[in-house]
Amino acid sequence: MPRYLLTQGVSFVVTLWAVLTLVFFAVRALPGDAATIMGGLDATEEQVQTLRERIGLARSVPAQYAAYFGGLLQADLGDSLRERRPVTNVLIERLPVTLTLAGMAFLLSLVLGLGLGVLAGLRPGGPADRATLLFTTVALAIPEFWFGFLLILLFAVNLGWFPVLGLPPSGLTLASSWNLILPAVTLAIPRAAQLARLARARVLEERRSDYVRTARSKGLLPAAVGRHIASNALPGVLPLLALELGGLLTGTIVVEQVFGLPGLGLTILGGISARDYPVVQGVTILAVTVYVLVNWLADMLQLVADPRLRAPT
Amino acid sequence: MSRAWIGLALFVLVAGSAVLAMWLSPHDPLAPNYRNLYAGVSGEHPLGTDGLGRDVLSRSLAGGRVSLTIALAATALTMALGGVLGLLAAGIGGLTDTVLSRFFDALLAFPGFLLILLVVAILGGGSLQTVLAMGVAGSPIYFRLTRAFARAELKSEYVTAARALGATRVRQLWRHAVPNFLGSLAVQGASTAATFLLVEASLSYLGLGVPLPTPSWGNVLQDARSYLTRQPWAAVGPGLFLAAASLSFQFLSDGLRDLLDRRD
Repeated sequence: MPRYLLTQGVSFVVTLWAVLTLVFFAVRALPGDAATIMGGLDATEEQVQTLRERIGLARSVPAQYAAYFGGLLQADLGDSLRERRPVTNVLIERLPVTLTLAGMAFLLSLVLGLGLGVLAGLRPGGPADRATLLFTTVALAIPEFWFGFLLILLFAVNLGWFPVLGLPPSGLTLASSWNLILPAVTLAIPRAAQLARLARARVLEERRSDYVRTARSKGLLPAAVGRHIASNALPGVLPLLALELGGLLTGTIVVEQVFGLPGLGLTILGGISARDYPVVQGVTILAVTVYVLVNWLADMLQLVADPRLRAPT
Repeated sequence: MSRAWIGLALFVLVAGSAVLAMWLSPHDPLAPNYRNLYAGVSGEHPLGTDGLGRDVLSRSLAGGRVSLTIALAATALTMALGGVLGLLAAGIGGLTDTVLSRFFDALLAFPGFLLILLVVAILGGGSLQTVLAMGVAGSPIYFRLTRAFARAELKSEYVTAARALGATRVRQLWRHAVPNFLGSLAVQGASTAATFLLVEASLSYLGLGVPLPTPSWGNVLQDARSYLTRQPWAAVGPGLFLAAASLSFQFLSDGLRDLLDRRD
């Protein structure tokens, strides 16, 4: 195995361990422990103590820490206090809505963001560039959930193309994924704007390089030069794409609330307000693991795509 | 230059309306009027009234006061937190540097909004808690920036000269290094303030930020969501205020950067 893969692998494991350790301590810093909440208002001190022993909170912190990582390795995230069933099952049930929404939003922002960014960068100062500047400025200044309101008012209330709220009782099916279009657009717009800004900057940078001047001077068609520029500029966008994709799993929280979609976002919000700590912890663990993993994969992809980065710094 | 001026003008407008909210407001933002619920747009109520008959324009103006204060306080906190620890890491180096750097790396490994949500879940909702949560979540960027800038400056020749003249580490950092990158931090700071405005609004919208009845742009919009179809203006108005404020910070940041670039 090449050396750079090994160091990258080690850094992935260390980051994940550090993040999961932070989550462990953060959840134990929450006000009122799980046993007090499970016991309810009229539980006696002895009953709470029995509960504490049953769910393992009476043990020493190192023992809890060991049990926490032991559980993680077996995909055991404990039981939801409110729903009284394994958190893993809750997550598996809610994941499809969030994944579909995140996937749609990601694809949309990718096409829109890269398209606008490259177009703007190839002709700086032109009409496409100015339109892109206007779009990115506005898109980054408006609050996401408020943009959702506007979409609901226009497309759901006035035009009636979409339902105002949520999914039908049948849940997420091929037909009802139509309902996810407005939320996906809401999510995609600000992300596309960020992507467009970076893509534009990367393209502008490449335009100034020597090989572009050579290609132009030997008479290559502008379209061909544009292709060269794009293929060299785009790997530089990978880290932002990873931040975006990895962040979408929890980035949907506000939008799920606006559109009433029962995904991971509503799950963690419900967990916070009901003080259902195992659920909050479970969603957090899943989200940070995916986030760290996607960012790490993007780093690796960049290393594969650009051998210059492999040299030890 | 033009963007900086637009930003400044917008900022003066938005901040001015927030500061003067008490005198500009046509009505008491907290006074209900049960005989005039969900009123539409009129001369009396330019943005209508909400579900308790409160004037939406007055609530937006008062909300701006709260939202702007929180965003600016959180920006100051996050810059101070990241900045001071970044200076410590660069100035002391060694184990202090390693421990601090790893800690902030771990914070950066969280998706930003999730981190803020977790801190709010631990501390409970509220204005002060929102400031603390955003202050913590935003700090890694400032830690990294300050540490990198300070390390570069400490290696420069003029700092070496100051050291040769007997300047202490604190003096080298504070008198010599910091003034050289304060401008770049300010550019980032204005951009962070724009983001924090939106984050505070999202938190308050979710009911985890500024608690009712104190109005903030976020919780005025939360109210508006529940009767969105009946009284759309109640949602559109405060949102425009919020977008204008966020835009003004973004423009100030861009304009400031242009100014600094020209100087270099």
